Order: sequence, then structure tokens, then C-alpha cells
Amino acid sequence: MIGLIARRLLALPIILLVIYTVTFVLAWALPGSAVVNDEGRKPPQAVIDAMERQYNLDDPYRFYTQYLSNATGFRWVTETLKGADGDPPRHIFNFGPCLRYEDWTVNELVAGALPVSMVLGFSAIFIALIIGLTAGVAGALRPNSLIDLGTLTIALVGISLPPFVIGTFLLLVFPVWLGIGRVGSWGSLSDIIMPALTLSLPFAAYIARLTRLGMIETLGADYIRTARAKGLPAHVVILKHALKNAFLPVLSYLGPAAAYAMTGSFVVEQVFDVPGLGQHFVNAVRNKDLFIIMGVTLIYSSLLILFNLVVDVMYRWVDPRIE
Amino acid sequence: MRKLLAVLGLIFASLMVVAIADRPLPRAELTYIDIVDFKTLDPQRMSYMQDNRLCYAIYEGLVRWDNFSDDFHVEPALARSWDISPDDLVYTFHLEPTAKWSNGEPVTANDFAYAWQRIMVPDNATDYTASIFFRIKGAEDYFEWRAAQLDEYRARPALERTQVAAEQLRSESNDRYRSTVGIEPVDDHTLRVTLALPTPYFLDLLAFSSTYPVHPPTVEKWVRVDADTGAIRQEHAWTKPPLIVTNGPYVVQSWRFKREMRLKANPHYWNPSVVRSKTVSILPIESENTSVLAFKTGAADWHSDTDVEYIADMLEQKKAGLREDIHPVKTFGTYFWGFNCTPRLTDGRPNPFHDARVRRAFALAIDKQALVRTVKRSGEEPTNVLVPEGTIAGFTSPKGLSYDLVRAREELANAGWTGKNAEGVPTNASGEAFPAVEMLVTNVQFHRDAGLVMGRMIEEAFGIKTKLVVKETKAYADDLDRRDYMMARAGWYGDYGDPTTFLLLHKTGDGNNDRGYSNPKFDAMLDAADREADPEKRMRILEEAERFTMEEELPILPLWRYNHYYLFHPPTKADGTPNPGGLKGWSPSPRLVQYIWKLEVVR
Repeated sequence: MIGLIARRLLALPIILLVIYTVTFVLAWALPGSAVVNDEGRKPPQAVIDAMERQYNLDDPYRFYTQYLSNATGFRWVTETLKGADGDPPRHIFNFGPCLRYEDWTVNELVAGALPVSMVLGFSAIFIALIIGLTAGVAGALRPNSLIDLGTLTIALVGISLPPFVIGTFLLLVFPVWLGIGRVGSWGSLSDIIMPALTLSLPFAAYIARLTRLGMIETLGADYIRTARAKGLPAHVVILKHALKNAFLPVLSYLGPAAAYAMTGSFVVEQVFDVPGLGQHFVNAVRNKDLFIIMGVTLIYSSLLILFNLVVDVMYRWVDPRIE
Repeated sequence: MRKLLAVLGLIFASLMVVAIADRPLPRAELTYIDIVDFKTLDPQRMSYMQDNRLCYAIYEGLVRWDNFSDDFHVEPALARSWDISPDDLVYTFHLEPTAKWSNGEPVTANDFAYAWQRIMVPDNATDYTASIFFRIKGAEDYFEWRAAQLDEYRARPALERTQVAAEQLRSESNDRYRSTVGIEPVDDHTLRVTLALPTPYFLDLLAFSSTYPVHPPTVEKWVRVDADTGAIRQEHAWTKPPLIVTNGPYVVQSWRFKREMRLKANPHYWNPSVVRSKTVSILPIESENTSVLAFKTGAADWHSDTDVEYIADMLEQKKAGLREDIHPVKTFGTYFWGFNCTPRLTDGRPNPFHDARVRRAFALAIDKQALVRTVKRSGEEPTNVLVPEGTIAGFTSPKGLSYDLVRAREELANAGWTGKNAEGVPTNASGEAFPAVEMLVTNVQFHRDAGLVMGRMIEEAFGIKTKLVVKETKAYADDLDRRDYMMARAGWYGDYGDPTTFLLLHKTGDGNNDRGYSNPKFDAMLDAADREADPEKRMRILEEAERFTMEEELPILPLWRYNHYYLFHPPTKADGTPNPGGLKGWSPSPRLVQYIWKLEVVR
């Protein structure tokens, strides 16, 4: 286990460097100017030049190396050691300024948005587990029954309907018609439920299908028959003996799902006005906001790799057979 | 299984802690919705409508507009009075002696001189540097001088570019600013400004956010000089509470990015009685549909900029008496399409739109009434001119070109497109067919629709083929910059109450002249207007400039005047009694200026 963790952590910087380089090449190739606001007035050319110089946008090589040195903490380390006469950077990992929202740095932006995205993403996964496991088990107990058919249909709807439709539908039904909950705010528990539910549906559907398949297979196994023969109550057989094994494929799906729930929430964030990180992926590319693109990609990639690691570790912990 | 439940339980518990720790604040006296969060709270860097509106709430400039007056005139704000020299070049402002910053320090004339210098140098200059500040004597020279100074510095050997040398550079620049630019703090409460040219609209410029003061000690803490380039680097951390110091009716209490901004009445504001709502909450909601739903559920008292696809239906409902919360305003802005006016297209082919007769022909072939009806359905007013009619006192708009197919075809024939090829496309004397017209739009429904409908009109009028080209905004802007287009959607909102805020778009080499239009005759008219001391005569020159471009030259094809939509409940019911929850103090002015401190929710 320790070997696994060490290997993955050692590979982390190399993977990140590759991701950084690829993202840089793609982002740099985006059309248009990063410093000019396309729908507004254009400043004099001398000003555009000065801005590009300030942000190293006039020289891809300098931008690439400077940004890397700032974002990895290399600059912080060297300047702190040097005790330079200038001022050392305020953050160890400095992801640079936002070009579109000038008063904010990428660090501040991520510090505000990442917890929101994590709350939303994890709540969604949590809801997905509850819905998915319940539906999956219910369906597996009576394959091809009405309940099974019903849950499969709902799962299909959950996967096929875009979150934009489900989200707007929820907004119209609950806050607008029934007066339950609020629109366009974030903070209280009730604000989290609707976006989390919307976000969770595709995951719930997938988990339901995984659970159902796993359960049907497990319920036919010899040890379940033994357990039943021993006279154990049905719920103990199902929840303790069968679900434990049927859950393993779901667990391995949770790593990528959690990461996806946190990134894939652009539409949900838009519909419910959630101040999360997903919007920055899309908006930064539209605005060619290089610092946000690079910063958010780096942070997210690190998280993704760490999540997968956590899930792998948990997998081994839950099922000691796996080496 | 138990282990797993433990892990899940732990995650769930931590989620709850995060969620519960994040409680929203109680409802403010006024809550309103903006469609984006603020770009900046630094007045010198502002250009967005939302930012400007905030500026007028948290800062106070020398003057402000009377936003309820028909002529939108300027009234005293921080400057209680002013004298103008007989030649209209020297303005002496007498500042309110009791005015204070939100930290209790007095507001002085020097604070203005400091603020204005910030964007008169290329280090920090912004979109408005030239149009506003270059009216001041010595400002443009100072800008050029500083640019040259920085160029010279960067050319020095690396060893000579030290922190000390860079600071020295800045100090020379400060001396030069004080000695050559016509901005002079005579004493703490007197500011004298000398202009390079008479500028009848100068006071109007001073009501605009770029000219508002900042608190020098606060800002200066976040300024450093870059030893490598010699340039001044302004960091923006000072704009966030509790660091920010302002001098207006409000102070910023909190600012959570893309979530909420809270304002409260500034205890040090010198004229507190004007402030109607003591606490203000501003919610940035980017999704148009969600923001309208938020207003509908009562989350806000005012929606400052509604732009949903069902606006037309909302207006219908209002007409039918089913709703009263939508309020359209005709703005100080024009929607138009631009022609690429350069002699050749980027692929080297001759550009037919270089010929003004072709541009006139196209303008005459568009039935704007029908276009607005099909594309917008929300009552926008078609227009044949660029400067919105009736918005500037003393300026009379020309007629422009209206829909006239017969004349349109004549114009095209006069331009040499007399023949027809087998497909019915016009050809010129050498038998070349009129190229298929690429119509460049961004991916927005009404731009696409406008392109398609106009394309049909052009094909029906002349037999010329058209093609809609849809691009992402950055790619579209890039195409405009490189003049890699034939016709493209565009638009413009004026900044100040003078025709030049629109007409400068056609000036040769202007940064916003995406058409590449250049006509010495037009440039000469603008120059003549600049030199004209008599404001009446000056307006006549500008009227002629507008007529020349809108009836003869047509670098742009004006389509309609932009509408703007506010959502709020009216302050009184139909029977004249107060309507609780309604909004008082809003202005229907085309300039869309709302002073937050004038707004009040009826209780």
C-alpha cells in the first residue's frame, strides 16, 4: 500500500508537467488577444503592448517558464532563500492574476470556488449513492418486475435528460410555483439540494445499473444460498452479505465520478447560479484568460490524480483480496 | 461495509459543517441583480455598466448628472461650484471642504491629481485614457514622453536596470506630470484644470467614473516599480474590503466573488441625507433565465439588465395588463453592422465594399422595419443614423438612408455591377461576379437571425449570394482586427453626451474603427469641430459629419436603437396608492445611469 502511494506521488509532478505543457500549447493557440475586452473599447496600442509585456504575453517561452516557476513554488523558494530586496511572492503557489476580473488573483478565485464545487460535487455523489443503491437493490430483488422496469426507466431518463432541462424544471416547480427554496443564491443547505440533485441524476442512474447487475450476480452465488439456508433474515442477507460484494464495482466508479461531479458542473452552476469552479473552465477559455486556464487546470489535475489514489487505497482497504 | 459507511459519514459530516458555516446575511434594504460580477472597483479602470454604477455609489466625483433631467445636464457633486475662463480652457473647481474619505481623512484636490495621473501613463492606461484625459493640456505629450522614457529604460544594459534606477525613473515622471500637465491642485479644496482644446462636454466627462478620485495612501501601498521594465505595477488587492477606502455615499462591506456584494451607508459621507437605502446587496447572476426567476421569487427588488429570449412575450403580457414589472428604456446605443472598407480582402481579392456606392446600395436594400419585427419582436426602434436621435441637446440628426429598392439597384449599377451571370449574380465590366458576401456574427441568436434575414434581403434585392459565418467572440474579434470579413455585426453605446462619442468610430486609425474606414474629408471635419470655439457652430460641423457618413459613406449600416430592460415593481398601484415592494428613484434616462443611493424600496 505504501509502495502504491509513493509510486503515484512520484509520478504526480511528471504527469502535471505534461498536462501543463499540453494546456499551455492549446491555450496559447487560442485566437484573439488575452488582454483586450472584445465587446468594449480598445485602448491605445502602447497600452496593449505594455499589458502584454507585464504579463509575459509577448513571449511564449518566458510565459511558460515564469508561470511554471510561480505556480510550482520554485520562485517562492528561491526568492525566500535569497532574501531578495524586492518583495517575495505572497503565496507559495502563485497562479497569477485574472485578466477578466482584474481585482482578483487566480489563487483567490480558486480559494472561493473550490470549496463550493467540492460541496456540490460530493453532495451530488452522496445523493447519487442513496438513489442508485436503493434503486439498484430494489430492481435486483425482482428482476424484470414492475419495480425493476420503473427504476431502469428512471435511470434512462436521468442519463438522457440534459441537466439544463432538469434544473430549470426543478427551479420552476419548487421555488417559483411551490415557494420552496431560493433561486440564484448559495449558502444554506436548501440551496445545495436542488443543484446537487440535478447533478447527481446521471451518476445515480449509472450506480443503479452497476448495483443491479452486481446484485443479480451475487444473489445467485452459493454463499448467499448458504446464508439463506442458515435462516438469516432477508435484509441481513441482502445488505450485509450480497451488497458488500455487489458494491465493489460501484466503489471503483466513485473516483472518476467524484472528479467528474466537480468539473462537469458548468451547466448546473449556470442554472442554479452556483459560484463554483466549473464555470471558470469554460469562461476562461472563451476569454483566453491564460492564467485561469493554466491555474485551474493544474489544480484540478492534481485533485483528480489524488482522488483516484484515494479510491484505490480505499478499494484495497475494503477488499483485502486485491493486491 | 462498516468501514465504508464510516468514510461516507465523515464526508457527509464535513459537507454539513462547510454548508452550515456558510450562512447568508439578512436581507438588505435594497437588493438588486447584476448580470456579471464587477470587473474592478478601481474607478480609473472601470468601463462596464455595472462597475460604473457601483462607482457612482461608493465614490464621488467632481460633478454628476441630473439623471432625471431631459438634457441630462451636470450638477455639483464634490465640486460645489466652478469657474470657467472666457476662452473655455481653464476650469477651476471649488471642492466641498467637509468631504471625507471613509477612513475619516479629508478629500483634497491632490487626490484627483493623483488619480488622474495613474492612467495618463502607458504603464496603467485604460480604454478611456485618450478619449477623456487627452483633452487636458500636456496630457498626450506626457503619455508619449513616458512611453519613450520606458523604451529608453528597457534598452539599457541589465546591470543598470536596478530598483533604484526604476524608482528614479518614476520620480522624474512625477516631476514632469506636475510641471507640464494642466492639472493643478491650487490648494486642498481648489483644483484647476487647463484644457488643450475647448471641450464643451468636458463637465460631462467629469461625471464619468474614470475621473473619480482614489485615496492615494491606500492605493500607493499596492504600487511597486518593476526594476526590469521600469514600469509601475499596480496590484489590485486594495479594492477588497476591509482595505478599500472610498469617498461616496456607500462603503463596501463585503465582496464575495460571484456571490454577493454588500454596501452600507458611509458614516463619513459629507451629505448623508441623500442616501435612501442604508444597506444594499448586489447579486451577480450570470444565467439570464435564472436571474429572471430569482427576481420573480422575490430574491431581489430590481433586475438591472434583463435579456432573456422571452422578452417579447413579457412585453406582450404587460400590454395585456398581466404584468407591470418590465420597464423598457430606449438607450444611448445603436445596433449596426460594419462593412469592411479596406481596398482588398485578406485573400488579395478586390473588396467591393471599398466602394461607397456598394455600401449605400446594401444599406438601401435592408427593410429595417421588417428586420426588427422578425428578429427582435420587442419594439426596438429602427434607425438610419448612428448617434441615437434626440439624445444630445442641440444636435439634430440627419435622415440617413431608408429602405428603397429602386435606388439600391441604381447605386449598385453605378458602382459598375451592371451585368448578370448565369446564376443571376451581378457582374462588373470585366465579367467578374460579385463575391459571395460573408456575414460575420458571434454565436448569439439575434445576431444570427439578423444575418440570415439581411442575407435574404440582399439576395432578393441584387441576386448576390450571402453566407453566414458564426464564430466565438475571440475569433470574431480577431477577424475584425485583421479585417478578415466583409460584413460583421457590431454596435456601440455612447459614453458622454456629445456626438463625438459615436463619430470617433469612423476616424482614420481609431482603435475602435474595425471597418478600416478612412476618409480625409471626414477626419478634417472632426478636426475642424475640435478647433471650433463656438459650440453652436461646432454642433453644425458634427451634424454634417454624421450626415456625410450616414447618407453618403456608410462605413456602417445602422439597424436599430438598443433597448434596455429593467425589472422592478412600480412604486405606486394603479389607483395611486403606494405599492409595497415597488422601486422608487429609478431614472428612465437613455444613458442608463442609476444612482443607487437614490433608489428605495416602498415599504
